[in-house]
Amino acid sequence: MAVAETKYLTEFYHLPEFKGLEGYKKNGGYKELVKALKMQPQAIIDEVKASGLRGRGGAGFSTGMKWSFLPKNNEPRFLLCNADEGEPGTFKDRMMMEKAPHQLIEGMIISAFAINSKKSYIYVRGEYDDSINALTQAIQEAYKAGYLGKNILGSGFDHDMDVYRGAGAYICGEETGMISSLEGLKGQPKLKPPFPAIQGYLKKPTIVNNVETLAVVKYVIRDGAAHYKTFGTEKSAGTKLFSLSGNVVKPGNYEVPLAFPMKDMIYGLGGGFKAGRKLKAVIPGGSSAPVLTAEESERATLDYENLAQMGTMLGSGAIIVIDDSNCMVQCLANLTHFYHHESCGQCTPCREGTGWLDKIVHSILSGRGRPQDIELLIKVADNMKGKTICALSDAAALPVLSFVTKFRDEFEYFVREGKSKVKGTAFAPKGDAHVGH
Amino acid sequence: MSDTNIKCTINGTELEVKKGMTIIQAMTENAQRIAHYCWHPGLSIAGVCRLCMVEIEGNPRVQIACNTVITEGMRINNTSEKVKDAVKWGLDFHLINHPLDCPICDQAGECGLQDQYMEYGKYTPEMAEKKQKKHKVVDLGPTVVLDSERCILCSRCVRFTDEVSKTNELGIFNRGDHAEIGTHDGKQLDNKYSLNTVDICPVGALTSKDFRFKQRVWYLKDSDTVCNGCSTGCNVKVYFNKEGLFRVKPNVNEKINGYWMCDEGRDIYKFVNREHRQLKGQKYGAGSWHEEVHAGVAAKDAGQFLQTAKADEIGLVLTGQHTNEEYEALLNTFVNTFKTKNIYHWWPQEPKAGEFDGLLLRGDKNPNTAGLKEALSKHGITAKWADLESGLKSGKIKQLVVIAPENIFAYNDMEQKAAFFAQAEHLILATSVKFPGLEKASLKIATIIPLKSYIEKDGTFVNFKGDVQKFKKATTVVNEALTGVELAQLLAGQNLQIEVVPTPELFKAASNTRKDQVTLDHRKKNEFVFNRGRL
Repeated sequence: MAVAETKYLTEFYHLPEFKGLEGYKKNGGYKELVKALKMQPQAIIDEVKASGLRGRGGAGFSTGMKWSFLPKNNEPRFLLCNADEGEPGTFKDRMMMEKAPHQLIEGMIISAFAINSKKSYIYVRGEYDDSINALTQAIQEAYKAGYLGKNILGSGFDHDMDVYRGAGAYICGEETGMISSLEGLKGQPKLKPPFPAIQGYLKKPTIVNNVETLAVVKYVIRDGAAHYKTFGTEKSAGTKLFSLSGNVVKPGNYEVPLAFPMKDMIYGLGGGFKAGRKLKAVIPGGSSAPVLTAEESERATLDYENLAQMGTMLGSGAIIVIDDSNCMVQCLANLTHFYHHESCGQCTPCREGTGWLDKIVHSILSGRGRPQDIELLIKVADNMKGKTICALSDAAALPVLSFVTKFRDEFEYFVREGKSKVKGTAFAPKGDAHVGH
Repeated sequence: MSDTNIKCTINGTELEVKKGMTIIQAMTENAQRIAHYCWHPGLSIAGVCRLCMVEIEGNPRVQIACNTVITEGMRINNTSEKVKDAVKWGLDFHLINHPLDCPICDQAGECGLQDQYMEYGKYTPEMAEKKQKKHKVVDLGPTVVLDSERCILCSRCVRFTDEVSKTNELGIFNRGDHAEIGTHDGKQLDNKYSLNTVDICPVGALTSKDFRFKQRVWYLKDSDTVCNGCSTGCNVKVYFNKEGLFRVKPNVNEKINGYWMCDEGRDIYKFVNREHRQLKGQKYGAGSWHEEVHAGVAAKDAGQFLQTAKADEIGLVLTGQHTNEEYEALLNTFVNTFKTKNIYHWWPQEPKAGEFDGLLLRGDKNPNTAGLKEALSKHGITAKWADLESGLKSGKIKQLVVIAPENIFAYNDMEQKAAFFAQAEHLILATSVKFPGLEKASLKIATIIPLKSYIEKDGTFVNFKGDVQKFKKATTVVNEALTGVELAQLLAGQNLQIEVVPTPELFKAASNTRKDQVTLDHRKKNEFVFNRGRL
């Protein structure tokens, strides 16, 4: 049986004209905005809630529920689109913004109307030049066409939208870190409570949603919650874009319904491995998700509850496939280096812990590991979990814990023999490159 | 009552706390121990040190106490193994990149890392990797030096400059474990309150240029007093040993100074130390200084002049730098014994008196102007400074007694005044500091009597808004110097009594005391205080 994508959001992505306003309108664009503006805002929120849509950025929190946390008054409120796609392995938002900027903008205007927000920002990762250009141009077109600005399509609803360019910090993808950055402060997460829905951007109620989440809103309005729920499972409704990367033959973005078997993703859509290689491990939801062994990945399905059951998470939908030519110590060193570099430095366990983990892993990698280092990695990572303002500390600790426990033999071999079990050598540290900067 | 108070249980003790209170507030107010670095009652909540962990019944994760508001019936503990373990590791994370240079660190002995590690530490260090290198001996400004390696990035100092001094000089630069405190481009940590950052720094990262390397803190005793730098009357702690005073830090008093004091006030120990002090009695006559005499002898001899002089030949000059008790004793002697009302208020900076910087610092550099004014009006004194000027010019005032100010930094007109007072036939100058300008003044006859400074006596100050604050003697610097009360008695020809505190009903009861304040009756002389207050 041939495995195929379910092109729901990405139906017209193959058309270059879908990027422009005309092409977008020709293929059903802005029809749902017209429809939504005639609905009661509460009805839109109820529809989104009923659709079972969960945040596509990583945490998987119910979108409708998030919206209903907003205070029921007329206080000014903001809608922020989190397009600071920084989770290693994730590149789906980039494709959406580059190929269909209007899809996101339409979803955002509908969402803003639902939560009665008159101003929204799209916070785009600084490196995404093409996305920023596409969005900026699309917003101009939308203003000209009367989809943005005062009295949109005669409905009496006003809305303004801006693109804000990040500066490339991973931590600004965390919603309160993003809010700090948008406020002109150093991009550091804020203490919760208060949560952004109560006190966010400029201390006003704020909703932060992922690019994909906001784009989906248009389709929930188009087809209704019931239709959306026909995809996926009860708790993981809808389709999702997955960014498949690593040692597969055909990496890329694939849209499939949730609960899609991971095996089909890797061997079917991904085209399997190069000759002579076989599956060793999969990081299923972006670099922060605990790793799965080959055996686990072959029985996993891509939905929130199954992956949670296996002790990992769907995250942002970034599937990183690792084949048997890779040394797991080296893979982990890559991750610890990333978190060491990206920790904002606010909370002590994360600031000091990410560096500590990184240094231990690199000392193992250079053949200087001590037998007690493996236990120490587990202890340090354990004590970084759940102790900080945001989830970066957990995100750094979880891969370490899963790599070390699931591939312990490789770590033990490296410490014992002073060289990689797979590659047969140690890796001299490149100066101080792995420490800081 | 029950609308604003709620019940909770902390470590098995049932407490009633104010609604809206955080766990850490309730715990510190009820004398429960909790580890913390970044939380400070006078600053906003940062929640970054992650040490004040508590376990709340029904919540599987440990929570930080500083950002958790107590709700009705909450059951909290910070003594379970889970919490202890979290704090142990929290401290270890603080220490892995800390240089552990305690032997050469000025903070040693009063360091938050040392104290809390003793109490909560893991004691089995496991860090074997290279430590992070950061900047050392960073000159932040005229008063403070930074050692970034010692810094634990609690952000207290940054929040202080943002929220209290509102000068915004400091920030945290860079990210992760190479983040460092620093000043913004082109700025220096240079404000009137900069040294508070040193007080609130829980480690040895920020040190005071004035104090560093002067003394190990365990060689210092401390004592509570009231700052005599201006009319705000901040509650302060002075640190001293037999070599003299070394530094001043603020005491907490929500009503007066909160948690802070100004940098100017921290200099007030300097004119108390011996190098600035009048140590002995001195006499001048027939164009030269005579041999030094004992303070009491000088006072008694001067008293004989006064006792034989006519009432309207006697004048007395007072400043707002002395205690209520001294004013009362002196005024009583002059008004009732010498029958004179030629009593003048030396007031050097009239135009600046009303100034206030919005936080603590006031233009009136006298701690007890209010007390002096009240004492003068109580004794019906109406004499003006102009009367003294004309009295001295015409030679009407022959015996002039001047009780000189202590704060030589605040009184910048002392040299001119020396020349001015020298016009009197006999100048009796009671002073705690070496009075500047006396050498140049053309004196006729003069008697110099050493006085004790405010650190060396019990007394009462009344601040600008009428708060009556008692303070106790901290230490003795110049042993034989006299207090104003003793001076008054000796001038009047009496002998010193052993009990020199006048009848208490004469004076107001203190209207402002702190919970931890030692009263005059119960003070223990030079008690060695181990408890150095809160972190």
